[in-house]
Amino acid sequence: MEQKLSDLVLIQNVLNGDSAQYALLVKRHQRFVFTLALRFAKNREDAEEIAQDCFIKAYKALGTFKQTAKFSTWLYTITYTTSMTFLRRKRLNTSSIHDEQTFLQIENHISAFSANRYEKQDTYRFLNEAIQQLSPDDAAVITLFYQGEQSLEEMGETLNMEPNTIKVKLHRARHRLKEKLQYLLQDEVKELL
Amino acid sequence: MNTIEQQLWDYIDGNLDVQQALTIKGKINSDEDVKLLYEELLKANLALSSLELDEPSMSFTRNVMESIVTAPAPITLKTKVNIHIIYGISGFFIVLILALIGFALSSLDVKNAGLDVKFDVVLNFDQYITPTLIYTFLFVDLIIGLVFLDYLLRKRLIRK
Repeated sequence: MEQKLSDLVLIQNVLNGDSAQYALLVKRHQRFVFTLALRFAKNREDAEEIAQDCFIKAYKALGTFKQTAKFSTWLYTITYTTSMTFLRRKRLNTSSIHDEQTFLQIENHISAFSANRYEKQDTYRFLNEAIQQLSPDDAAVITLFYQGEQSLEEMGETLNMEPNTIKVKLHRARHRLKEKLQYLLQDEVKELL
Repeated sequence: MNTIEQQLWDYIDGNLDVQQALTIKGKINSDEDVKLLYEELLKANLALSSLELDEPSMSFTRNVMESIVTAPAPITLKTKVNIHIIYGISGFFIVLILALIGFALSSLDVKNAGLDVKFDVVLNFDQYITPTLIYTFLFVDLIIGLVFLDYLLRKRLIRK
């Protein structure tokens, strides 16, 4: 609640001409925007470009932001649409759950986790890997729900869908994630043998 | 599509009503397979919830701030659309429409024989149209014009 108020105060300051205050908003939300962009772009350079584009778009349209809603929800909508536009433009291959030939550009993710050190880190590594193998839409739903900590209603607002549709999408995404994890863990067992 | 797995996810997410939650709780307690699945999903839920966010490069904020320096400063929608201008324009047209209706009515000479009611409305506007009224009308027009000019100049200044 406090953060929401702070966001609104910062926005008001920016609208009153103190543009430097926007840096605080960027710092506050950049990690999630970047993570969401990474679900679509699959590499850090493109994700950073998308995330920057989102913040610039949000700055330009700040006057149209209805201050009754959460700034984060509004910002995630911009991130989602910008990422989708990026995908269309780049014509990236969105991986199918049955496509075993999918090439993964996750080297930057994996570098953050050193395998076989801690069991917990391994779990996160596999989870990140599995999420990266999902279609961008599924990965976005999972990311918004768990890392964005958005409710079904807020996600519906972000993705312009009914909360019930989001609920079904979330179920399907989790089911596919489970399949991906099973596949990845199976490979890991083979490696160990 | 309403499998036990979906019901368990709904139970974990807290999307079930009291009755449904009790039913699922009962299934978890009575069925060993359901209990195992529930524990598995609970672990997955915990792991997903504790996933960390990725960090962009150190220069990210600086890059964004450098990009927005050249962008026009955002302004609120309220500032963009000045409500006084809208009121002024609508007031002007209301006066114009009322004057036209008044003039039309003054030229009417209606006689309804069936009802034996005579409408013989003749208004003499000459007594109302005085030099003071004309000057007032022109002054209001001038004010509306100046407000509109101010709006246009402000808009041009913001674009620059």
